[in-house]
Amino acid sequence: MTDVQPTMNDKRVMEFVSNGYVVLEGIVSDAFNRHCETLPGGQIDEFVNTPEFLKEVIMTPEAAGVARSLLGKNFLVPITAHHHLFETPHSGQFWHSDGISEYGYGVHHLQCYYYPKAVNLEDGPTMVLPGSHYRLVEREALAHYGNIIGQLSLTVPAGTVVMTHYGIWHKAGPKLNSTRRGMIKYSYFRSSPPKRDWVTDSDKVPPYVNQGRHAYASEVECYRDLIRCERTWAWLCGVESNDDVCRGAKLFMDARPLADIRY
Amino acid sequence: MKTAIEQWLDTCRAKLGEGKLTDDDFLRLESLLTERKQMVLYLYSKSTNMRSPIASWALYDPTKPDEPALPSQEIPYASVIEAVCDGWRIVQFPISKLYQFSDIDNAYLGYEFILEKWT
Repeated sequence: MTDVQPTMNDKRVMEFVSNGYVVLEGIVSDAFNRHCETLPGGQIDEFVNTPEFLKEVIMTPEAAGVARSLLGKNFLVPITAHHHLFETPHSGQFWHSDGISEYGYGVHHLQCYYYPKAVNLEDGPTMVLPGSHYRLVEREALAHYGNIIGQLSLTVPAGTVVMTHYGIWHKAGPKLNSTRRGMIKYSYFRSSPPKRDWVTDSDKVPPYVNQGRHAYASEVECYRDLIRCERTWAWLCGVESNDDVCRGAKLFMDARPLADIRY
Repeated sequence: MKTAIEQWLDTCRAKLGEGKLTDDDFLRLESLLTERKQMVLYLYSKSTNMRSPIASWALYDPTKPDEPALPSQEIPYASVIEAVCDGWRIVQFPISKLYQFSDIDNAYLGYEFILEKWT
């Protein structure tokens, strides 16, 4: 069996928990990127099952290391993929999440975007909304959203792979030119229970560190985001997340047990 | 964000000052008035208060072709009330009880105000 080493530490896993994506810039070789220059659009299952695609993209130490960190040992390797190819100007897709959102606190599925060619703003980059992966939404009911404060256009160098939580809101951004813009989409899946077996300094599970507020979030939303992230962090670490009997009251102020009080 | 009629007014005031206003200008105004179309602006406010900051927006202008435009992080109005001051009419207010949420889960992004303006 192929031995894959995790590459993420607690800090990077927490960033993923909050944002819902990891960007691995330029990890695929120039030679393989060029190999994709004439790839047609559409389903490309045969292509992703070639030893070259496996070696050069799916199993690069960087990408496989993220999959190993977030999905555990024996993660499932992609055998299907779709090439999203745009070669003419367009107004962009609507905001959406793919398929069924796979809502919940766990991380079972990483959907990846591989860009064989550099993507600039005018080329119609994929756009993602950081932190949107925890929202239970009706896919088609996002379509009328326009610009969202904090949205991110993935302008990336050639050979970049972006690995996302499946539920993240995304779309192909507006394309102003006729430059070829390809993106190969495929997924890794979890096959084992979660465990904190990424790169760690000690066995002691650190508490989740708040990664800050998403620009579009309201006051109450950033409280919700924090609690949702804490639950995902606990889930990924394989720690039982017991319901807080204080029901969130300690989110802002701390307190100590009555038995500790001396006066 | 000026309507075609507001733009006409600006132009024709200048023409009036220069003594260049003609009957063609009034024909143009007549045409604008008969061709008026509804512009729709969605503003997603961070609360139901009209003075709250905006999280997201979308403008639908039927007078303009659906051509690609780069994404923007420049909000057209800082709040719903600022849009109202600029002549937008609110046609739908957010109804709080329709916003689905549990203690920590929700299914929405900001509170949706729908506004209209006629070109």
